[in-house]
Amino acid sequence: MARFLIARLSGVVLILLLVCLFTFGVFFVLSPDPAVQICGKNCTPELIERIRTNLGLDEPLLAQFFSFLGGLFAGRTYGVGESATHCAAPCLGYSFQSSQPVWDMIMDRLPVTATLAVGAAVLWLLAGVAGGLLGALREGTWWDRGAMVVALSGISVPNYVFALVLQYVLVVELEWLPFPGTVTFAEDPGGWFQNYLMPWIVLAFAYASVYARLTRANVIDTLSENYVRTARAKGLPRHQVIRRHALRPALTPIATVFGMDFAGLLGGALITETVFGLNGVGKMTADSISRNDQPVIMGVTLLAAFFVVVGNVVIDLLYTALDPRVRVNSA
Amino acid sequence: MTAIGKTPPLLEVEELNVTFPTPQGAVDVVRDLGFTLEPGGSLGIVGESGSGKSMTSLAIMGLLPPRATMSGRVRLAGRELSGLTDRQLRRVRGDRIAMVFQDPLSSLNPYYTVGTQIEEAYRAHRQRVTRRQARRVAVEAMERVHIADAARRVDHYPHQFSGGMRQRVMIAMALCTEPDLLIADEPTTALDVTVQAQILRLLTEVRQETGAGLLLITHDLAVVSEMTEEVLVMRAGACVERASAERLFSDPRHPYTRALLDAVPRLDDEVGELRTVHGRGPSPAAGATEGDER
Ligand SMILES: Nc1ncnc2c1ncn2[C@@H]1O[C@H](COP(=O)(O)OP(=O)(O)OP(=O)(O)O)[C@@H](O)[C@H]1O
Ligand SMILES: [Mg+2]
Repeated sequence: MARFLIARLSGVVLILLLVCLFTFGVFFVLSPDPAVQICGKNCTPELIERIRTNLGLDEPLLAQFFSFLGGLFAGRTYGVGESATHCAAPCLGYSFQSSQPVWDMIMDRLPVTATLAVGAAVLWLLAGVAGGLLGALREGTWWDRGAMVVALSGISVPNYVFALVLQYVLVVELEWLPFPGTVTFAEDPGGWFQNYLMPWIVLAFAYASVYARLTRANVIDTLSENYVRTARAKGLPRHQVIRRHALRPALTPIATVFGMDFAGLLGGALITETVFGLNGVGKMTADSISRNDQPVIMGVTLLAAFFVVVGNVVIDLLYTALDPRVRVNSA
Repeated sequence: MTAIGKTPPLLEVEELNVTFPTPQGAVDVVRDLGFTLEPGGSLGIVGESGSGKSMTSLAIMGLLPPRATMSGRVRLAGRELSGLTDRQLRRVRGDRIAMVFQDPLSSLNPYYTVGTQIEEAYRAHRQRVTRRQARRVAVEAMERVHIADAARRVDHYPHQFSGGMRQRVMIAMALCTEPDLLIADEPTTALDVTVQAQILRLLTEVRQETGAGLLLITHDLAVVSEMTEEVLVMRAGACVERASAERLFSDPRHPYTRALLDAVPRLDDEVGELRTVHGRGPSPAAGATEGDER
């Protein structure tokens, strides 16, 4: 087990290094000299030159990459003498737009995105599994068809369209919810909940649909397993047969898909946050892309890659815990 | 319960019919089947694949696939089962009638330890048992089916057992509630020959200990002749011949039975090994097919 972990973790480090290299390379190719961009309107050649030296853009590419890596792990200092600024340990550079450290920008906005992600995940798991189970247990009935039609629309309607429709119906027409604002949980828990409710639903809908279909298919499969017949032959009550013998095995593969989806949620958050004006990492990314704020885009890319890679390791461990057959046999 | 005090038969099946709707019309897979089994007695049902043996046993248990319809009467110790709700039947299943299935690997849930699965069977029918008590019952049941080191093995998962050991687990699961009737649906078909003989011997032993009746389903005439007093031969859903095991072998009346006898290997009593006469070879593991409910 320890050897397995060490092997996995060194793999993770290697992949993250490759992601760094790749990201770095892509941004270099896209824009080899950002100094011009930073310099702005009142630019002089001397100013550009100064920015170049300050940011280390005059160094060879490989050296730049290593300063970047160094900044990530140990922090780095830009410029020399009086104008020198120190960027502390996980240093992702400074935003071209606001000159703030990218790391701080991300950390400021992460709670909003995390709230959105966790809430949506809870919602989509509950709704997806419940919908899929309903479909499987009432296979072929109108319940089943109804649930699957909803799921199909969840998959085919783009989530910004759904967001606009939902906003129109719930806020404008029915006036059940206020216009989204910025409320923290501490200020007003009820308002906070109302504020996040639509974003949660929108982000969760498409995922819930996929999970409902997966759960339905898996439960229909496990229901026809011989061990379900054994469970019934033992005289177990119906709810136990379903929960322990049909649902439990059906959910194991779903847990692994869930890990992947959750880790890769930043993409979904991007649209949802933008539509609802939530000031999270997703919206910041969208803004940075439209303004070509490279260090921010790069920082977010690395963060997303980090989540996906770490998420994968967590899934592997989870899978080992969930399925006795893949556990190391020498127990 | 008759007034004279005569105990009713353990199992009575009358005019049992099982029908599946198909695009080509309704198909009767069991037709007007009837038999009785006295308390502690044993009956073998033989017949080729698809003759309706499994459907008969599932009909008795009330476990037919949802699309199947059934008519006729099934009585357990005088009590009508056919009209019972699923909830009432649940109390009978596993408690009064226990079942052992063909493929012990797929019949055990890979996600739970064998101990957990035996405990489940016990706790489903006993109120207010603690986990610890149920666990002790599970260990005892495993000891009764001669699983060595039961106290440790109880925490193992099905995939950590061999085929024969898994079938022992299934039998332990069936007997932990002390049922009156044991239905074994091809309990040895998925096992290799030497293990087959051991499992059959175990079933006999369990019957002697518990006094349970046995309904043994197989397509192997040699097996029923060893294991049961009476034999019912099925073909295309109907009973073609019913006789004592002895008479069936010495004097088969129905041509189909004769054909079956000719085609099937005989059991070599002492060694418990199978000897090919001609026709199907004695390799049950390789030839095992489960045609039902999939
Ligand atoms: N779901 C179903 N729909 C339609 N027909 C079915 C269905 N399940 C089983 N049957 C049919 O019922 C008949 C009896 O099946 P059954 O499983 O009882 O046979 P069996 O005697 O147990 O055979 P085997 O020795 O292969 O186990 C078969 O002809 C089979 O094709
Ligand atoms: Mg069968």
